[in-house]
Amino acid sequence: MAKKILIIEDDKFLRELIGQKLLKEGYDIVEAVDGEKGIKSVKDEKPDLVLLDLILPGIDGFEVLTKIKEDTEIAQIPVIILSNLGQKDDIEKGLKMGAADYLIKAHFTPGEIIDKIKVVFK
Amino acid sequence: MFWEKKNNNNNAFFGSDVRIANYLSDGLLVFDKNDKLVLVNLQAEEFFQIRKEKILGKSILELNRFPNFEPLVSILTGRIKEFFRRELQIEENFILEVTSTLMIINGEKSGTLVILHNVSREKIVEKMKSEFVTLAAHQLRTPTSAIKWSIQILLDGDLGELKKEQRKILEKMYKTNDKVIRLVRDLLNLAQIEEGRFLSKIILSDVEDIIQLIINESRETIEEKKLKFEFKKSKDKLPKVMLDVEKMKIAIENIFNNALRYTFSGDKISISLKNNKKEIEVKIQDTGMGIPRDQQTKVFTKFFRGTNIMKVDTEGTGLGLYMAKNIIEAHGGKIWFESGKDKGSSFYFTIPVKESFREFITGKFY
Repeated sequence: MAKKILIIEDDKFLRELIGQKLLKEGYDIVEAVDGEKGIKSVKDEKPDLVLLDLILPGIDGFEVLTKIKEDTEIAQIPVIILSNLGQKDDIEKGLKMGAADYLIKAHFTPGEIIDKIKVVFK
Repeated sequence: MFWEKKNNNNNAFFGSDVRIANYLSDGLLVFDKNDKLVLVNLQAEEFFQIRKEKILGKSILELNRFPNFEPLVSILTGRIKEFFRRELQIEENFILEVTSTLMIINGEKSGTLVILHNVSREKIVEKMKSEFVTLAAHQLRTPTSAIKWSIQILLDGDLGELKKEQRKILEKMYKTNDKVIRLVRDLLNLAQIEEGRFLSKIILSDVEDIIQLIINESRETIEEKKLKFEFKKSKDKLPKVMLDVEKMKIAIENIFNNALRYTFSGDKISISLKNNKKEIEVKIQDTGMGIPRDQQTKVFTKFFRGTNIMKVDTEGTGLGLYMAKNIIEAHGGKIWFESGKDKGSSFYFTIPVKESFREFITGKFY
């Protein structure tokens, strides 16, 4: 069965671009446009992996990550942060909080993001 | 003037001196040759929220007992320089520019003049400007990422095969967009540096380790360009220094990347470290394109790019050395260079080995 990936990203175009690429690679996708809907989707859909943006309307990505890691039922779902924030502090914080990887949007192409997802699935 | 009367009475002033001083919009403190406070004008009383009766006749060190004076005393003591200018933050949104001048009359130290100029308004405006740049640059990140991703998806052939010409144009677009991404990144770093939010995490670190890390990250480029590279470490063990590793890495990277970028295949680059006891000196030398003499005064200014390098390289943003200078000076260091067109460049900078660091945490140097 195809792996299911949840994309939590507020920018519609970015969501479409990465979603399209994932579909093409044979993954199933679920989308969420803000933190709150993101957490709900993680619980309802139990995806195999979450792609998480950090700057989101309402509750931000760090909070989403905390909530995921606190809930034993979903805590084991790997989360890859995909953000604009490139400061060392943010990266360290994200990884410390349990993110499987931290990717800076501008430094990765969709293809490279897929590669990183594959690494997590291995 | 008061120093002419010093033989009679150290604290005596002509009434007109004091009166004139009281009309100055800047704060004024005058210390005599024994570093005792002999004149305080109204504005200075205002700045420090203290009556002059309480502080007149006190020495600089005695003033340290007044909490309001503590930051000022910390920058005035231990300075033997004849002249210096520093910014001093008294409280949030209240910043004074302190100018201290040693008065030497007939070859003899006669006193010290300390002028306090209120620059709060300028600083607030400067901060707003930096915040605007940060905000604007930040807003550019999502669209530039979106452009990068879309072009890449086209280039990957996800939406159908591309003709050779189409691919060529898209590749150019991709490169141009990457340049915008880099520019945005530099602008963000720059704004951060100008906001004085830098030097956030200052820890005792090893300069050699930081440089080694930068070299390791550039291995590929060095090999690709077939550069002759040498890292000359100091013979004796270098002391560890207090620095913000992330920022210092940006500074050194910027200098080193210029050396990598503006050299030709087969050129030589070397980094050498020297222990000058009170400071560590780093030299980054290349045999590359160099900086034309007529442009050398502008090297550390914002957006500067040499006319000779612009012809061969369109990638640079002209912000690297400006940032490097800001970062190094914030650490209390100095930066300078020697260069000649087609002769290569040598950039030098120093990082002081200090025991007390409050000095460079409080504000920026000139």
